[in-house]
Amino acid sequence: MGIAQSRSHQQVNGHNGAAQLGITALTELIAPLRKEEPAPTQPAMGFFTDTSLCIGCKACEVACRQWNQLPAPEPQWSGTSYDNTRQLSATTWRHVQFIEQIGRRSTEPPHPILPLFTDRVEEARGNGTIPATPPGTALPFFNTDRWLMQSDVCKHCANAPCQEACPTGAIIRTEFDTVYVQQDICNGCGYCVVACPFGVVARDEQGDHLAHKCTLCYDRLKDGIEPACAKACPTDSIVFGEVQKLQEHARERLGLLHERGVGEARLYGVDDNILDGDLHSSFLLLDEPEAYNLPSNPQRPTNSVAPASLWTILAAAILGFMGILFFRR
Amino acid sequence: MEQHRFAKERLLSSIVERIPTVWNVLYRLPVGQESATDLMERLSSLTTGYTPDPEQESQEASYYDYPVLKQPLWHWEIIWYFFLGGLAAGCYVIASIASLFGSKEDRAIVRTGYYLSLLALLPCPLLLVKDLGRPERFLNMLRVFKVKSPMSMGIWGLLSFSLFSGITAIIQAARDGLLGKWWGARLLAALPQKLLALPGSGLAFFVGGYTGVLLTATSVPLWSRSKLLGAIFLSSALSTSTALISVISRLIGTSGKSLHKLEKMQWTALFVEIVGLLAFLRNTGRAARPLVGTGPNEHGPTFWRIEFGLGLLLPWLLQGLALLFGQRTTAKQGNRGGRGLLISLLVLLGGYFLRRTIVKAGHVSSRDARTTLWNARR
Repeated sequence: MGIAQSRSHQQVNGHNGAAQLGITALTELIAPLRKEEPAPTQPAMGFFTDTSLCIGCKACEVACRQWNQLPAPEPQWSGTSYDNTRQLSATTWRHVQFIEQIGRRSTEPPHPILPLFTDRVEEARGNGTIPATPPGTALPFFNTDRWLMQSDVCKHCANAPCQEACPTGAIIRTEFDTVYVQQDICNGCGYCVVACPFGVVARDEQGDHLAHKCTLCYDRLKDGIEPACAKACPTDSIVFGEVQKLQEHARERLGLLHERGVGEARLYGVDDNILDGDLHSSFLLLDEPEAYNLPSNPQRPTNSVAPASLWTILAAAILGFMGILFFRR
Repeated sequence: MEQHRFAKERLLSSIVERIPTVWNVLYRLPVGQESATDLMERLSSLTTGYTPDPEQESQEASYYDYPVLKQPLWHWEIIWYFFLGGLAAGCYVIASIASLFGSKEDRAIVRTGYYLSLLALLPCPLLLVKDLGRPERFLNMLRVFKVKSPMSMGIWGLLSFSLFSGITAIIQAARDGLLGKWWGARLLAALPQKLLALPGSGLAFFVGGYTGVLLTATSVPLWSRSKLLGAIFLSSALSTSTALISVISRLIGTSGKSLHKLEKMQWTALFVEIVGLLAFLRNTGRAARPLVGTGPNEHGPTFWRIEFGLGLLLPWLLQGLALLFGQRTTAKQGNRGGRGLLISLLVLLGGYFLRRTIVKAGHVSSRDARTTLWNARR
């Protein structure tokens, strides 16, 4: 109704309408230049994903997809594990890995000899009680075969290569210090895609041809609710909170696991200065990062700019000088 | 160290073993497919200092070999932009040097260079805009000026360079009388072209080299491990543009002296390019396999045959010989012209294939999980 009215209105006042149209077109054109007052800074928020608690239920994947209205990918059997999603993409912002380690050689020092039930069977038969398990001998740690699961997500790096590369300023840091792609600014140049050392951000080639990745549920954060994946996680493998507190929690959890004999547990994105800073979504891993397809010490792409430029300038100087030499009379 | 020596010994023994094959090759050209692949493999090991060890690599952890990185989204548009942008930048630099330091007879080079610079530059913005996911939003590139981002700097550099390239070419056209004789044309002709050439060539150097820096500032192992891609692209920009200018100059007829200067420039640029490329391969090591290897999806055959052999080494050698024995053949303009034309066309071919193989091998490199993880180890 409103549109019809304004249209007829424009037809009546042809001159005015055209001017108005011109003004709207102009405001639309310069809209991306408008600089808005940034929202008041909040404490940095992030995830801590504790893979020792992950049970591979994929509730995070589903919750993320549902909340962010991301289309389901074409079902395809990967043939390698229960993970058929395989990777994060423009329409998959949480992804659960299934790492089967069967028949692996343990790199850990041999486990202490544990008093097994066999030598207590007679004793148990005698007094009719079930012998108590000695502490620190929970089942998974007896066996070298194991099944690691990890819910992967955007790392929301303190020094995010995608944000540093973005030539339009579409990728920003929000007031929660998370990395966010502004969909109305991005023009799909694809530089962030090759800049990200984790293969997180991707361009949606089936959809709008823009870069997409985890927003850390910016819309939910604005309303003071935790992100959908953290909310859905039934084992609290995904914890959401202030980065400072999460890091403390991560260190505590690591200490606890080490104390209980899980020597291979390690943190990723906390205290390891990845990309010259921390990752605001950090992980507790049970193997070397490479087992999870995580680079242990990725280069920060912007650090390459200075040396690469220097070499280029050197080549330019040599060739320019030689050119002058050849062309001089 | 021991492994290194072992590789060397193996190389030596395999060369000795190969002597019968070499005889075969000498007697029965064309070369058998197998020995050619062998030769390229040997060259790859020699230049990169890395001999693939599938057993060792299969021990490395990764997540079912699924790629760690996302593949680049850059295809033929970007390859052509790198090539044409390099030509535009190089032509401007050569023309400016000839204009500022050259003699009167180099005027033809100045004219050809400035026209070619603008001509090569014209398709560039179209290619770049077409390459975007949403081409209609290309103006968003001008929202920010970001020193950290080579692409942002590149956009501004390209924009200002095109301004200089355009004005310089228009001044040239006005001076050549192509714009008629009205007051506007006279005004344009009076503008100080040489004064513009100084900042213009600075920007041209930038446009010629930043593309390599842009590729270096990514996470793709092949592009980012060595920091020399910018220097290689810049020297290739100069070698291809001297080649283009000398092709046109030969066709329209230019003085032998000017051509000789161009030839020397071309030889030098090719030399810097070869040195840069070899250093690049050595520094990149294992991550250079997608570029030089002969395995499935690896671009070694194109790289060694067309890019390095036909497009770089052969013209460099031919040019070197021509320059060494040039004095005697100067009189025979026809002979020299034919050979010069061939050399220049080979250089242009090599320059295009340099961009093409490096961009395409970058795609392969980004899919290789193990090498990506190896590249990111502490």
